Amino acid sequence: MSENIYTYGIVEQEDLEVATEGVAGADRIYTVDYRTFSAVVSDIDTTEPERTDEDVEAHNTVLQRVLEYDGGRTVVPMSFGMAFKNKRTLKGVLRSARRALRSTFNDIKGTVELGVKILAPADDATPRENVYASVTDQLTGLSASETENDLFMDRLIVNKSYLVDRDQRDAFDAAIDGIESEYDDELIIKYTGPWPPYNFVDIHIGAEQQGGR
Amino acid sequence: MFIIDDLLVKPFLSLVDIIHTMALDEMYDTDAIRDDIKENRLLYEVGERSEDEYQRRKQELEIQLELAQQIQEQMRGRVEIKQ
Repeated sequence: MSENIYTYGIVEQEDLEVATEGVAGADRIYTVDYRTFSAVVSDIDTTEPERTDEDVEAHNTVLQRVLEYDGGRTVVPMSFGMAFKNKRTLKGVLRSARRALRSTFNDIKGTVELGVKILAPADDATPRENVYASVTDQLTGLSASETENDLFMDRLIVNKSYLVDRDQRDAFDAAIDGIESEYDDELIIKYTGPWPPYNFVDIHIGAEQQGGR
Repeated sequence: MFIIDDLLVKPFLSLVDIIHTMALDEMYDTDAIRDDIKENRLLYEVGERSEDEYQRRKQELEIQLELAQQIQEQMRGRVEIKQ
């Protein structure tokens, strides 16, 4: 039987079992501890999982469950595809990344990421600078940090990720409700999350550290 | 201007070579294809594209991206164009 381990993210040490389907149809999501951290993992039979829509969604769903389950917790997310040869290799990676992990936990403790995209209707050339200014003015003050993401198509007016303290979630949701009632009849607003802070975490784990990849 | 710069820097390359490489660069622009992949996904998520349309376009774009990556790999080191 394969000992390969697929990793979703890292939490502060805690025994977790999450009831949801994982990547590659995994039916058991559990934790592997290294000192004060626990990696959220499932078993897998490869160290190079294929990036399919279904598995990317499974990866995100597991992370969302862990983020919100039983009162919620801080999660340092891994990007899709981080599979290790076995638990020993995974623990070696956690050991080498422990300082970066500790510093990251301190930076993002008690926060979640929320995404806001605002899209103009097709074939609409109306200038929308005022929309961008108004939306970002309302949301910036409610967030601990924010990132400007790619405007990968002409119709995108806003594409931002916000790092929001859990105790500001209701206020942030209320601000989004206000934005939706102001613009919903002329623009498409896509509000997503809560996510673990993908866009606010910058830990690089080299392939050579993963062993077997 | 950059064409002239390139000719000055690389006098042994013909203008045809440079224009040809620029055309290939544009045709096999992996960033642009990645943007199209994101656009396809977003249009599907907001309901402007059906699942069938989304899947068909996604498959096309993934093939394009793989081809573009292979071509870019082959072109690397052959002719470098200053932007």
